[in-house]
Parts: sequence; C-alpha cells; structure tokens
Amino acid sequence: MKLNRFLLGAVGMGLLLASTSFSNAQDITIALSAEPSTLDPQAREDGAERAVSDNIYETLMQRLPDGELVPGLAAELPVQIDPTTWEFKLRDGITFHNGEAFNAHAVVASIQRVIDPAFNSEQLAYFGTISGAQAVDDLTVRITTTGPDPMLPSRMYWMKMLPASYVTDPAVAEVPVGTGPYKFVSWQRGSEIQLEANADYWGGKVCVQNATMRFVGEPGTRLSGLLAGELDLIVNLLPEFVSSVPKAVAVEGLETPVIILATDTGVTAIPEVRRALNLAIDREAIAESIFGGYADPAQGQLVNPAAFGFNKDLPFYEYDPEAARKLVEDAGATGKTITLLGQSGRWLKDREMLEAVAAYWGETGLTVNVEIEEWGQFLSRLFSKDVRPDSVLVVNSNELLDASRETTFAYQAGSGAASNSDAELAAWINEAVAEIDPEQRAALYAKITAYANERDYLVPLVNIEDIYGLSERLDWNPRRDAKLMIREMKLSGC
Amino acid sequence: MAAISVYGADTAPPKGRRWELLAELWQDKAATAGLVAVLVVVLASIFAPLVAPHDPAAQDIIARMDPPFWMEGGSTTHLLGTDHLGRDILSRVIYGGRASLLIAAAVVLVAGGFGTMLGLLAGYRGGRTDSVIMRIVDAQVALPGLLLILLVISAVGPGITTLIIVLAIANWMIYARVVRSVVLGVREMEYIEAAEILGCKPGRIMFLHILPNLISPLMTLAILEFTNIILAEAALSFLGLGVQPPATSWGLDVASGKNYIFVAWWVVAFPGLAIAITVLSISLFANWLRVTTDPQEREKRFARGQAGALRRAAEAKRSAA
Amino acid sequence: MTKFLLHRLWQGFIVVIVVTTVVFVITRLVGNPVDMALPLSATDAQRAEFARQTGLDRPIFEQFVTFVGEAVSLQFGDSLWQRRPAMAIFWEVLPNTLILLLAGIGGAIVASLFLGIFAAVRPGGLLDRAVTTVALVGLSLPQFWVGLMLIMFFAVIMKVLPTSGMGGPAYLVMPALTLALPSLARLTMLVRSSMIDELNKQYVKTARVKGMSQSSILFRHALRNILVPFLTLCGWELTYGLAGFTVVVESVFAWPGLGYTAMQAIQRNDPFLLQAIVICISFIIVIFNIGLDVLFKLIDPRIKIG
Repeated sequence: MKLNRFLLGAVGMGLLLASTSFSNAQDITIALSAEPSTLDPQAREDGAERAVSDNIYETLMQRLPDGELVPGLAAELPVQIDPTTWEFKLRDGITFHNGEAFNAHAVVASIQRVIDPAFNSEQLAYFGTISGAQAVDDLTVRITTTGPDPMLPSRMYWMKMLPASYVTDPAVAEVPVGTGPYKFVSWQRGSEIQLEANADYWGGKVCVQNATMRFVGEPGTRLSGLLAGELDLIVNLLPEFVSSVPKAVAVEGLETPVIILATDTGVTAIPEVRRALNLAIDREAIAESIFGGYADPAQGQLVNPAAFGFNKDLPFYEYDPEAARKLVEDAGATGKTITLLGQSGRWLKDREMLEAVAAYWGETGLTVNVEIEEWGQFLSRLFSKDVRPDSVLVVNSNELLDASRETTFAYQAGSGAASNSDAELAAWINEAVAEIDPEQRAALYAKITAYANERDYLVPLVNIEDIYGLSERLDWNPRRDAKLMIREMKLSGC
Repeated sequence: MAAISVYGADTAPPKGRRWELLAELWQDKAATAGLVAVLVVVLASIFAPLVAPHDPAAQDIIARMDPPFWMEGGSTTHLLGTDHLGRDILSRVIYGGRASLLIAAAVVLVAGGFGTMLGLLAGYRGGRTDSVIMRIVDAQVALPGLLLILLVISAVGPGITTLIIVLAIANWMIYARVVRSVVLGVREMEYIEAAEILGCKPGRIMFLHILPNLISPLMTLAILEFTNIILAEAALSFLGLGVQPPATSWGLDVASGKNYIFVAWWVVAFPGLAIAITVLSISLFANWLRVTTDPQEREKRFARGQAGALRRAAEAKRSAA
Repeated sequence: MTKFLLHRLWQGFIVVIVVTTVVFVITRLVGNPVDMALPLSATDAQRAEFARQTGLDRPIFEQFVTFVGEAVSLQFGDSLWQRRPAMAIFWEVLPNTLILLLAGIGGAIVASLFLGIFAAVRPGGLLDRAVTTVALVGLSLPQFWVGLMLIMFFAVIMKVLPTSGMGGPAYLVMPALTLALPSLARLTMLVRSSMIDELNKQYVKTARVKGMSQSSILFRHALRNILVPFLTLCGWELTYGLAGFTVVVESVFAWPGLGYTAMQAIQRNDPFLLQAIVICISFIIVIFNIGLDVLFKLIDPRIKIG
C-alpha cells in the first residue's frame, strides 16, 4: 500500500537525519536550564549568561576549583598602596578574540562601564565600593574605592574584562569578545549557543574543541537528552535521577530553602509555637528523602555555610516531635490554624518540601493550611507590609557568598521579605553592612544569627547541593562557585 | 468541535421505548463499552473516599516511585505504583477524576446556560438583537483564545474558579450558534405562529415551546463539549495554570510527574490514560447518541446494517459454493 | 466585493480594539506588573523607580492612551527578560511557530484527504473502521501526554530522534506529529463523512453507470464538492494553532515558538513581552481570517459570510 511505503519512508528519513547528529570526539554539548537574557557580561545578574560568559571572558583574579584566589589576567596578586587604592600588574601579551591587545585601557574602560550609574548594571551589588580606575602605564592599573575595602581582590573575580573599543558597542549584548579559552561562534535564539576553542589562549591548550550550550528548561527533558546521548553535561540534575545517569557529580550549592515566620500575627506570634515549628521538622529526613541525600540540614541559620558571616558555633536544629507537640499544647495553640504559603515548580522540590513541612507541623496539633499561589500573587503577599502570611517558604540563593544578602532579605524588619518588627536586630544589620573591618563584621553577623536563632524568627531547612549529570566520556569536577568551566572538562579522547 | 448537525422537531423517543433503546445500544458494542466506562469513572469519582485504597495526599517517603504491582519491586499495596512523593497513584487517579469531571461539568453548565440564553434571544427576537449577539460571537471566535487565557491566568492567578470562568467565557459561543439556528428553524413552524396569535408571552413561547426542541441537540453538543473541556483543563493544569496543588487533577498529575517519566513511567502514564479513556468513552457514547436521536442518521444506520447483512449473506453463499 | 471587504475590515478593527482593551485591563488593573517584574529582593525604592521608568506610576487613563499608541505602532517597549524590543523577539519566534504549523497542520491536511477518501470508499470496511478508530483515539489523547510518550519511545528508548529543541529536520518530526494528531483526526472525519454523503448522490451513481473510473469520480468530482467545508475546517485548524494552541506542544518539546515564548514570559514575569505576543497574534489572526473569507468568496461567490 501507498500509505505503508510513505510511513516507511518517513521513519527511514528520521533515522537518516538522526544518524548525522552523532557527536565528534572532542565536541561536547552542555544543557543549561535557561537561556541567557543577554551575552553582555556586565549588565545582568543572570546565571545562564554567566555560564556562557565565564568561558569567553576573564577576570583579573580567578579562583582555583577549591576556591583559592589566584591572579588571572593580573600578573600577580594586587598590592594595596594606600587604604583606598589597589594596584594591579597585568599579564603581558594577551589579546582579545578580535585581535585587540589586553592592557590597562581595557581594564579601565571595563571598570568605568560597569560602575557608571547610567549603565544601571544589576551587578553593581558586587562593585558598589569601587569609585574609579586609572591606567598608570600600559600594564599597570590602580583601582580606587570609596573607603577601605579588603574584599576588592575577590570582587575583581566577578568583573569581566572587555576590549576597550568594545565597551560602547551595542553588539556586546549579542557577540561576546573576551580573552578566554573559548570564542563565541553563534547564538541561535531559543535553542543554543556555540563556542569553539581559542587556539591562541594564553593559558595553554584545552581538551574540548567545540562546545554547544543548549537551553533545556525541563529537568526531565535534560535527563532524557543525557540518556539519549545528545548531551554530555546537564545542570540541576534531580536527586532521583542520580542512579539513572551514566555519571553524576555533586558539590555544595548556594541555595537554602527557608520558612519565614510572622512574629507579630497569628499563631506564630507565640515564641513557643515558633520553637515548636522548628523542633517538629526532621531535616535529616528531608535531606535524605526529598533531596536523595544531596542536601545538608541547616545549621541554625539561613546563611550559607560557605558565605562570609556564617556562624559555625550555632547548633543544628533538633528534631523532637514530642517536645514540639507539648510546646503547642502548653501554648494553647492545639487545633489552631497556621497558613503555609509557597510555590510549586519554581524552585527545586518546593512543592515536596511544602507537603513534608505541612505533615510535620500537622503532627504538633496545629492545623496547617498550605496555600500555593501563582507567582504575582505570591510576591505581593510575600512583600506585603500590612498583612504577613503566618509562614512562607522561599528559596534563598547566595551567589555573593556573603551574609549581607540573607540578613537584609529575611532577617531585617521592614526590608525584603522579613516578617518581624525587631528594631534592634535591624539596627545591627545596618551596622554590619557598613562595617569594613572583616573581624568586626563577622562578629556582628554571629550576634545577628544567634539572636534570630534564639527567637526562632526563621525556619531554615537544608543547604542544597548542586548535582550535575555527565555522559560516560566526560570527566569533570564541579566547582564550589557553580561555574561551568569548559576548559576544566576532559573527554576520554584527550 | 467538528460541524454539528442541527435537527428540527422533537426527536426524543417516547417513554415506552426505553427498553428498546437499551437493546439498540447493546447492538453497538463500542458505545455500550463507552457508557459502562463513563459510569465507572463517574461513580468512582463520586464515591472516591469509599473506592480509593489510600488517601491521595498521604506521602510515604520510603515507598517513592514504586512500580505497579505486576512489575518487579511492585506490590499489591499500591496497585498502580506510587509517585515521586510516595503517594498511591490509583487513589490519585480516582480523586483526580473529581476535579476534572467537576470542572468540565461546571464549564458546560455555565457556558451552555449562557450560550443557550443568548442563542434563544438572538434566534427569537431576530433583527438588531440577533445581529449584535452574533457579532459578539463572531468577534470572540476571532480572538487568540488560548493566549488570552494564559494572559488572564498569569495576571489573576490560577485556581479552579478562575479556570471555570475562563473556560466558560472561551466556550459559550458554540451553544449560542447552535441554539440560534435551531430556533430560527422552529420559529417558522405553525404551532409557534399559532401560539403567538393566541397571545402567548414571548418568554412563555421561548421556554415552553421552543426550548423542548433544543434538548436533544444541546445534549449531544454538551457531551461533545464536555470532552473538549476535560482536555482543555488537563492541558492548562499541565502547563501549571490550572488546578493547583495540593488539589489534584489528571493533568496536574501528569505535569508533576513529567520530570520522572524516564525513571518511573507509571507516574505519567496512568493519569494520562485516565484522561484518554474518559474522553474516548464519552465520545463513543455521544456518537451513538447523536445517530440515535437524529432520524436521518438512524435511517442511514439502518440502511448500512441491511447492506452489511446482505453483503455478508452474499459472501457466505459465495464461500459455501 | 469592496463593500464586503470594507465590512470585514471594520469587523477586524473592532476585534483589534477589543483585544487591546482587554489586554490592558488584564495586565494593568488585574495584575501588578511591578511586582511581577522585579526580583524577590528588590527594595521599595527600586520598585518605585521601576514604576517611574516604565510609566506605571502615571494615571490609568494616560497609561491607556500610551498603550493604545504602542499597540497601533507595534512598539511595545523592551522585554524585561531579554532587555531588547519585545517586537524583535516576536518576529524571531513567529517563523518557528509557522514552521511547526505548516509541518503539522499541513501534513494533517494532506494525509486527511487520502485517509478520509479511502475510508469513504467502503464505509464499514476494514480500512474505514481502522481510520475511524484511530481518529477517535487521536481525538481522545491529551497532546502533552502523546508528546511525552513519543519522547520516551523515540528519543530515549530507540534513540532515533532528538528529545527536544530546534535544529535540523529531525527535530521537527515529533512536535509536528503531536500537533498534527487531533487535527488529522478532525479533518479525516470530515472528509470521510462528507465524502460518504457525496458518493451516495445520484450523479455519482450515474457516472458509475456510464463507466467513469473510480479515481476520476473520487478526485475530480466528489472532491471538488466537499472542498468548501474541508477548506473551512483547514482554515479553522490553522487559526486555532495560531491562537496559541501550539503552546502545549511547544512546551513539551521546548520548541522556541510563540507559545513557548509566551510561557517563558509568564515564568520569567515579563508582562510586556506577553502582551506584545497576544496583541500581535490577534492582529495576525484577524488578517488571516479576512484573507480566508476573501478566498472563499472567490471560490464560491454564493457564500454568505459575516
């Protein structure tokens, strides 16, 4: 029959087309969970953009995979020549992908671009202390800060260097030109970005010659691509999939789910009930069952364990359902309703955590009312200054690795999503942000986290690990800073 | 939503023919199976707390993604296995039907009621009323339906009430069209004219004399629309814009299971099958109903049956010879 | 004809006005774009600044006038997500949806003609029953579910087709197939039933008696007579696809078309991109429908439309 022949033909054509997509021995395909919003490396705060730009652009300072800060485009560690001035010596003989020389002018132009208020960069949070830069000679740059800034060298790990002639060119948003180990080839909107190895890279030869970064939003689709052999590296692998993929690697991540309690209204105004809410949750079980072991119970605070300001002296939360029940009973709150506001599908395992927490809290004798709201609605309730939800689950992510972000977001009264009205705590947080002496600052954050821990303002759950799925032929150790450095990836062929 | 044939006067069979009708249904095995399946789904949904073996929301952290009982590692505790939170899939499918059927029924009632009203009005009053109403119908048909639905839900926030309202607003037009054309046909009939001459009020004429003629075409249309709404609700819930957890529906269960499909296909397969079986069964029965209530189609069915019998007889004779 | 065209254009204009107003009311009065667009940790000062920049702090009537002006000139400002004109994104993804529609619905149109006609030749025969059954099943399966099952079978188990995304022709196979299924079922059923009616008419019987060949009866005569209802449904299928009903298929296969982009805009809280897509698509649908009506008028001047 004609129809049969037609069907056979169609299937045959499909096979033929598919067979042409087999990958080359030195090419890899990486799945990102989102498409970059731009390829301008200085404009946005966008993880997908960073994943691409990290391979094309470079910074004055870089970090080894274990976190040690070492010179990158700088020839040596910078020196502080006066309290507000740092001097950087630059490596000689480096050129951008467009042939332009990397020199002091490029550094000055890049710095001035990102700190220009008119440019309105979302990355200003990283660079707020920098007031300017001057070229001393072709390979020497002085960076000035508004006040003494001991963190300046690590800030320079975030600032990507552009060619001096390119900083005003609008093409920078679409055609990145850096000094890095990979050159930009093409950006097919909606599907992928292609990179190729930079043969003239100053840092030596790399193993992977061509890299394709595909944008695959769904975790299940990423997994299927890895299983089907289309992909070599997938990000944000779900813990359940670890046993299904050829290889999986994990590293401590930046995200911490936390429940913010309203300390002035509802049943959560009672300190004993707040304590009970913390005691009622088995964080080990959540880490084990929901995250498949790829998470660690939070240590009494929202601050990320790797962040500056983490209070390592705080105890881990106990799990004591009996005590929790008794506390609720003694407070006369048994049978009262607590609302738990959350999201579904926005953050890793958000829904599962909501349901698990609701079950644990239900055990204490409270009636838990889980409300999952659409994002816009959720946001207006999260930020409402008038009516606070009893409790709300959000996932905090800390790319800066500094406690200032968590404390202003969830601890400081009247700011972000904080649900308390503790003026004393808020004052300490302001003090900590302004403090320049690192030891003083650390001490302040220790005081803040201990204070909030004692009063159970928050219910931090677990610190989540990042899991990556790898194809059989790829070897790679993930980095603590979650950067996808293609030059650190090894294929079995080279 | 293929073209719906519109038929005139009263075609509902008299009461005494109920048994005959059932016998006729029995002749059509597919339609019978459809009706039985629909009844099973509806009853299971209504009596979900009695039928479901487990609480659909109860999580069992140890028993996550257990396979169905016939596979290795499965057990009869969870006949169709468990999902990624260790919830019993069979129970979830049973409870999921509640939301899906309820929403579909509500949408059909609201959209059908509204559309019928406007269709009656347009057809009976004619003139300006007719042209204004039909203009609205035409205009709404030309709107980018699903995109507007997405826009509304993204602004208002998803939920069952939002879903019902939005789907009803997007689907009332077809009822108005069908009703209007039936009314236009009936209006010309002598007994309506007689009623008008006798001085019956328009409301009385509409409800007492015209509405009965609509029951049969409206029934068929409503049943067909019902299946469309089930699919639409499932699609929106799948996109995360319909029923929201912790409530459940079939589409939502497919959505929350879709990331696990490659390690636990049953999480997605069974809710999807539930949708498919329900829709298919309703369609099979509706198909039969449409033919049964339409004299023209009945005639054709009869003729086809006769022709088939003759052919079979001829073939039998030939093969015997 | 001119009068008819003017009439249709006027109607189209009304639709466009209605859509623009509805979109404005939904985005500005029901939703709050400021909260939607800014990140969790934005301060109140940042919120106020954003409202000022985007003009969301102006009186509502003034906003409406600006909005209508934007819609008429097809300038919708920048997408918050990609920080470039929303229209640039629209024009970029529109062809992707058109490709999918042409492959899926186009394929369904061609296939339905053959399947429907062959099924109609012997009503109740084996082929007819097979086609009818497949069509019924095709209409009953939820598209997203079919898509997931196809990915599981062809991409993960058989490894013959890519899982998702857009690339060579192989990437088109599964999305187009999934999109085509319900349309194919509807179209085939229509061709089949109108063909059966047609073949029972007297002129066909006469032609048979006169010895006209089967293919000539089917494709020359009967087909021409069912063309108008068939093309009407084809037009409806395409409109339906344009009206956002590719969104499910595009989401399942991460096909970077309009529906997928609209979903992305929702997920990334980009109300400006979403409203640009909705309004532009309704423009296109209006124009497409007017074109179809004109086409029908040309095919068969007796048709009354509108």
